[in-house]
Amino acid sequence: MSDPTQRRGDHWWRHLVIWVVICFAVFPPLYVVTAAFNGDQTLSGSSLIPRSFTFENFKGLFVQKEGGAEVFFVRWFRASVIIAVLNAFFTVFIGALAAYAFSRFRFRGRRMGMLFLLLIQMFPGLLNLVAIYIIVLRTGEVVPALGLNKLTALLVVYLSGAMSVNLWLMKGFFDSIPSELDESARVDGATPAQIFWGVILPLAVPVLSVVAMFSFVGTLNEFITASVLLETVDNFTLPLGLQAFVSTNFEENWGSFAAGVLIAQIPAIIGFVFVQKYIISGLTQGSVKG
Amino acid sequence: MTATHTAKYRPSFLAWLLSLFSGIGGLIVKVALLCVLNGVTSWAIIVMFTQDRAVWALATLTVLALIDFVYLVPNRMLPAKFIVPGSVLLIAYLIVPIFFTINTAFQKYATGHVLTKAEAVDTNIAQNVVQGERFFKMVPTRDESGELVLVLVDDTTGEAYLGRASGLQEIDPTSVGVDDFGYTVPPSGFTAIEGEELFAIDAELAAFVVPLEGGGEIRAEGVSGAYDSAPGFEYDAARDVLVATDTGDSFADNGRGAFENSQGEQLVVGWREYIGFENFTAVVTNPMVRQPFLRAFVWTVIFAASTVLISFAIGLFIAKVLDKPKLRMKRFYRSMLVVPYAVPGFLSLLVFKGLLNEDYGLINKLIPFDPPWLFDPWWARISVILVSVWLTTPYFMLVCMGALQSIPTELVEAARVDGAGRWQVFNKVTLPLLLAVVTPLLIASFAYNFNNFNNVYLLTGGGPTVDDQGVAGATDILISYTYKLAFESGKGQDYGLASAISIYIFFIVAAMSASGFTRSKALENMK
Repeated sequence: MSDPTQRRGDHWWRHLVIWVVICFAVFPPLYVVTAAFNGDQTLSGSSLIPRSFTFENFKGLFVQKEGGAEVFFVRWFRASVIIAVLNAFFTVFIGALAAYAFSRFRFRGRRMGMLFLLLIQMFPGLLNLVAIYIIVLRTGEVVPALGLNKLTALLVVYLSGAMSVNLWLMKGFFDSIPSELDESARVDGATPAQIFWGVILPLAVPVLSVVAMFSFVGTLNEFITASVLLETVDNFTLPLGLQAFVSTNFEENWGSFAAGVLIAQIPAIIGFVFVQKYIISGLTQGSVKG
Repeated sequence: MTATHTAKYRPSFLAWLLSLFSGIGGLIVKVALLCVLNGVTSWAIIVMFTQDRAVWALATLTVLALIDFVYLVPNRMLPAKFIVPGSVLLIAYLIVPIFFTINTAFQKYATGHVLTKAEAVDTNIAQNVVQGERFFKMVPTRDESGELVLVLVDDTTGEAYLGRASGLQEIDPTSVGVDDFGYTVPPSGFTAIEGEELFAIDAELAAFVVPLEGGGEIRAEGVSGAYDSAPGFEYDAARDVLVATDTGDSFADNGRGAFENSQGEQLVVGWREYIGFENFTAVVTNPMVRQPFLRAFVWTVIFAASTVLISFAIGLFIAKVLDKPKLRMKRFYRSMLVVPYAVPGFLSLLVFKGLLNEDYGLINKLIPFDPPWLFDPWWARISVILVSVWLTTPYFMLVCMGALQSIPTELVEAARVDGAGRWQVFNKVTLPLLLAVVTPLLIASFAYNFNNFNNVYLLTGGGPTVDDQGVAGATDILISYTYKLAFESGKGQDYGLASAISIYIFFIVAAMSASGFTRSKALENMK
């Protein structure tokens, strides 16, 4: 900027700085790639530049080795993706419903309700796990599908936060949609449900996408609730499965673990690419409005 | 900022799809969902009735009726129609557990204190037996159906009994004979077990217990004798004390979930008991709790603060470096730089655990010296912060890029015209404006990292252990320390204390978030 003859701001040092940071940023993921294809499948044999190339590590994920750690990679992967997609979908749906009510209706207890939902999130969920475990255990005696070791139960527990977690973000976005739009729709005879589906939601696609992505990636990442509710290794989600896999024999399973990590990243990256254009505005809007 | 998204809005496939539900489609979905809900819940209610859970069934029925009422009455309770789906799940799996936790925080609820008082009384009586005064000659026999029955003759009184697993039955002493070698001969209908079979049933015989009325039991000793034992305690319901039958020593309810005698000795088996604020005051008064709690607390603050501040500093720096419209490959750079954010955190953490391995890890292969990254308390703390910074920086980079874009260029240019230097402009114009936008997010991130269980637990497991007592390791933050207290302590679990600490955590996080919200003025905006 100080030198108008130069291409504005395109100094060589900026590129240098960025490349250094990129090295740090991509070095661990890159290492996973090389470890996944490395001929030497142990942790001690791994290096940044692989000595030989192999697909053996991937095979280790799908074929049970004699006496090796139990691997149900396909099941873990499927469980994780299914639960993450369903959770993202229902989180958006439930959250949007509630945000619409708090944004567009005026009712008794509205302000209190919002504060309450804000407050309740600050309770460390981790300690609720004892109670949740007992509730799920007892529910399972009546409705087996909502009992321990069932993915449906895990999903329902995840969804308990659907309303509170993104309420403020979504409500902030809904607030910024001009109310003239729904008033004109109401004049034309639209019901609140029709306004919700026909006016608000189509306009809110950016925030819906961001919330869906966060909950999708968040679910793929979730470890501790799943570890309390899921009991057998064949019912695990990816984090549990890979953690169990790598901790049974850290050193020896490293190559297959890296291969698993590589595949496990695919859903999150797809989700990320899908909503990338909304992320920056979604991160700041709603929370810092005005 | 209000109009930006409407200006950007182009009808997309997704938007079109959503609008389909505004007509008859939405109605069909609503009715279908209601039908499924009613069907499944009715079935569950029937199951509850068959399992004798009438209270549950009625509660469920009430909730179902309320939900149906809300959705089937048209044009009334409109807000409820939109809030009910989230609320049901919220109450069942979030609010009820919170009440459970609060309730637990006021109880002595730990290893040795998990039963109810009545169960604890029974268990203490059952577990403490003293040898009685009677000794029996015994012969193991089988009755006609092949059941094991002990034929017993009291050594002193000569009374004879049949001892079954169901109880003791007195029989005519004359029906039991004595053979030439002094061994007991069972009455007719019972076959004495002899020879090889006698050796074979050794284990069965040792585990065979004949319960006596009013507590106590008879056990075989060897293959030809038996002795009785009496309960070591009697429960005196009137005085609410357990009286030791041999010494007459009485153990009274000490009000803290245990029976205690006048010398202060406690019985091992206690029960859950409300003890007021004792769990809350323990972090101050009990040195065994205070030390690990304080260390975990200080470390939590250091961990969260340094993670947020370092990540923010680096993120802002990168954002500033990237903040040139004409920079070549900007899009490529940005996608490379958010890689740590795009990769699921748990995977990165597990990978870092391998990378930082002292003996085999890649990092120690690349650098000339071998720090014990995860095994030395101080190196482990550094590792946790470094890895957390690696995970968090892209978030702040994105935030700062967004925030920098929202700063009006006129302000910066006006400052330049007034003669401000590059650093002055940044320090006096850009940074204050940026902080106004970003401070709530900094606080939110601090609150998030305050409870960032994964970053600690998946990397170091809270370890390495430090010398003093208590379950907190060197890198344990409050939440992982609490988790260990509740779920996996080798020194016994303490739900009560864990719940109390989690309530402290709640107040800390709530206070921080409250300050964040006041700054963001979000609450005043609440129309």
